[in-house]
Amino acid sequence: MSFRARMMTPLLVVFVAAIGYPLISSFVLSLTNYRITRRDETKFVAFAQYKDVLQDHAYWSALAVTGTFIVFAVALELSIGLMIALALQNQRRFRDFSRSFLLSPMFVTPIAVGLMFRFLLNQQLGAIPAILEKVGITYDFFGPGRAIYSMVIIDVWQWTPFMVLLLLAGLESLSKQPFEAAKVDGASPFYTFRRVTVPMLAPILTVAVLIRSLDASKVFEYVYAITRGGPGTETQTIQYFTYQTGIQFFRLGKASAMSYLLLIMVISLVILLFKRIEKARLAS
Amino acid sequence: MSAVFLNQVEKLYGSVPAVRGIDLEIPDGKFTVLVGPSGCGKTTTLRMIAGLESVTSGSIFIGDKDVTALDPKDRDISMVFQNYALYPHLSVAENIAFPLLARGAKRAEVQGRIEEVATTLSIFQLLNRKPKELSGGQQQRVAIGRAIARSPRVFLFDEPLSNLDAKLRVEMRTELLRLQRELSTTAVYVTHDQEEAMTLSDVMVVMKDGLIRQMGRPEEIYENPIDTFVAEFVGSPRMNLIRGRVEGGVFKSPSGVSVMVPYSAHHEVVLGVRPEDVVLDLDPANGMPGRLEIVELLGPRAIVNIMCGTHRITAVIEISQLTGLHEGREVGINFRVGRTHFFEAESGLRINF
Amino acid sequence: MTISKITTRKHFEPWRLAGNILLTGAFIAVSAPFLWVFLGSFKTGTQLNNPTLILFSPNLANWTRVLETGILQAAFRSVIVGLITVSIAIIVGSMGAYSISRYKTGGSTARFGILTAQVLPPAILVFPFLDLAYRIRVNGTLVSVVAAHISLVLPVVTWFLIGFFDAAPKEVEEQALVDGLDRFTAFRKVVLPQVAPGIGASAIFGFVISWNDLFYALILAPGNSATLPVRIAGFNTFRGVELGAMSAAILVSVIPVLIASFFIQRRLVQGISGGAVKF
Repeated sequence: MSFRARMMTPLLVVFVAAIGYPLISSFVLSLTNYRITRRDETKFVAFAQYKDVLQDHAYWSALAVTGTFIVFAVALELSIGLMIALALQNQRRFRDFSRSFLLSPMFVTPIAVGLMFRFLLNQQLGAIPAILEKVGITYDFFGPGRAIYSMVIIDVWQWTPFMVLLLLAGLESLSKQPFEAAKVDGASPFYTFRRVTVPMLAPILTVAVLIRSLDASKVFEYVYAITRGGPGTETQTIQYFTYQTGIQFFRLGKASAMSYLLLIMVISLVILLFKRIEKARLAS
Repeated sequence: MSAVFLNQVEKLYGSVPAVRGIDLEIPDGKFTVLVGPSGCGKTTTLRMIAGLESVTSGSIFIGDKDVTALDPKDRDISMVFQNYALYPHLSVAENIAFPLLARGAKRAEVQGRIEEVATTLSIFQLLNRKPKELSGGQQQRVAIGRAIARSPRVFLFDEPLSNLDAKLRVEMRTELLRLQRELSTTAVYVTHDQEEAMTLSDVMVVMKDGLIRQMGRPEEIYENPIDTFVAEFVGSPRMNLIRGRVEGGVFKSPSGVSVMVPYSAHHEVVLGVRPEDVVLDLDPANGMPGRLEIVELLGPRAIVNIMCGTHRITAVIEISQLTGLHEGREVGINFRVGRTHFFEAESGLRINF
Repeated sequence: MTISKITTRKHFEPWRLAGNILLTGAFIAVSAPFLWVFLGSFKTGTQLNNPTLILFSPNLANWTRVLETGILQAAFRSVIVGLITVSIAIIVGSMGAYSISRYKTGGSTARFGILTAQVLPPAILVFPFLDLAYRIRVNGTLVSVVAAHISLVLPVVTWFLIGFFDAAPKEVEEQALVDGLDRFTAFRKVVLPQVAPGIGASAIFGFVISWNDLFYALILAPGNSATLPVRIAGFNTFRGVELGAMSAAILVSVIPVLIASFFIQRRLVQGISGGAVKF
């Protein structure tokens, strides 16, 4: 066996065992009516589970909830993150300290973040509603119509730092010369930002949005820690819904079908996006 | 010390040939330079000798040992790379010791050798530094030190001077030559710079499109280039090449150049004359008339461009002969007798009388 | 040479001012929840009913109660899972990544496969893991958690490492081959030291992913082998709110990571600009 093959083999073996096997096995499961409590009754049902899921109103609603969450969270994270990254890049003193500190939320266990905010925003026990109360505002963060946006706030708190990290890395890898040229040409900071920074940063912005969107689609901990999908099904995200189907109701077959449908959607989205990036790159 | 032999060596990348079946004998103890424009296959050839590139077909011998299928470590060679390739995590001393230690020498045994090498290359005071603390020239010395630490059978150099500035390049060139003479180890050197090739080589190998065009002592190649490619590639400024026709012992070009030749057949040819073999006369009546266009001063000599009819001819003349010559002046052009070259118009091959 | 005196004139810079205001705001937004939880962990039950109380005499009851729940053991289990996962991922991943980067093994298929593995919804892999764990009777143990975490960490780590190997100059290892090392020794002694910072950053990144995971650990080992996130989630019962104890538990998970993040931040910025975000 050649050297390159010998180096590749362990990765291939582990990859197949840890990802390939479950991926295929999950597909097989999705073609059955497998329930962990009734293993003897397992039958091959072809695509019946898929049909079932697609006709399930709750599945579509969970997708819509997740979509809303992603759009609001990522849009906020991108705009706040870009501003903070620019501010950090131009900072002169305490650079290392403020970077470390402002990046710290992304390293905290999401479940701890969820619980922290559950109580910080709690109407009786939380500091923020108490402070709002003092200025005469009563706001129930987890009430109907609001809970999903509170989830967005939590996600923004935890993951804007990641956006900052990606954008800061991007900003620091940009060549300095165009910025110096813009200075010599007398461009204002805002004009420079709009016509130099953003276009040069565009590929990294796209990647950052993509990474964050895919991550946000997996949101689970905040829902598990705070609302468990409520009020009603307002915060029932796709990941939480799948968890419930598979774990609380033991319907592994159906849960697998749900995940596969999600995977198809995610991958088509990724490919679509990549095609557009490639097109834009080739056009310019 | 050993000679290196390449027998019908061919290298394909996919179906694209990089080296098209070359035979080459690199003489023992000599400094051989492979030179040619980029993409000519010189670097690929060197890397195949090193074992860094596999051989598609053919065989390579170092001495009497067939090394075609051997790993680089078993070929008993040293190599200096274009960007020096120092181990960034090791000090200068450890870098020099590396090839010795890698082959199982004991740390205590190599200390003396490191110091010897460092003294030869005057880098003794740098031994404890890391590569990133060195200037380009110093890094280059360390890379050479690493190559000579062991006594390999062959030194391989892959454009080792091209990242240095002009002044340092000339210095290191002399130093390399001195080292190779001292050690008299077989050296194979790759460069795209014909001037470097001319000054360094005992044997010069000119390559193009994966083939060897000409091989020999540099002055031999300079004097008798085998075809128009070699004629133009070797020498600076380039040889003047003028297309024309020989009729009844006179060469005539459509652009208006006409020269007597010791040659009578009717023939389409290319006439070549090196710039230093072009002689100018202040009287336009003495020789072919031409008009002096541009004079570039080059220290003790000058490059002069003259329009002769519609053909631009380059000449190199001594500063002392520049008196009376100025841009715009009409002059007479002559080619030194016996210093003209003729090539077949179709194939570009040299015509010998 | 004359040394001329350079006088700098301070002038008003509105953009810098706006930036500093923004950073101050961000600083408060990041620190406030930590501080509030920190205060909460020293409050008694009645004090907790006053959420804006800042000055009070601290009380250690919450901390002693939390430590009795075995949170440190859970943290230890999380460390073990993280270390095993990362060790396997780094060893296997670095070898494979090197082969992919240097020898183009698997071509674009390999690269695309590794990229795709990173976007898999976790729910797609977890049920087969659960099912298999039941069949071979390792359900509820850390073995299944490690296996699941490898599926999570390996693609990310390998992707990072491919970027780092791509950026390393190949002449240095070719030099090592000529100098007398075989390919594997050259990889170990010359290539790996060159990408050491990258390996460090990937290892830490992988560890944080494993350390933070709730989804897999909750499904695969909810009981006696609970990792730290699972144990913390356990404070969130419907029986009643143990806010004080939970605050202490949250801090147990936050503090070590917070300390670590101070050390790795700069390296991570370098690591990511060093090729990990290039597609």
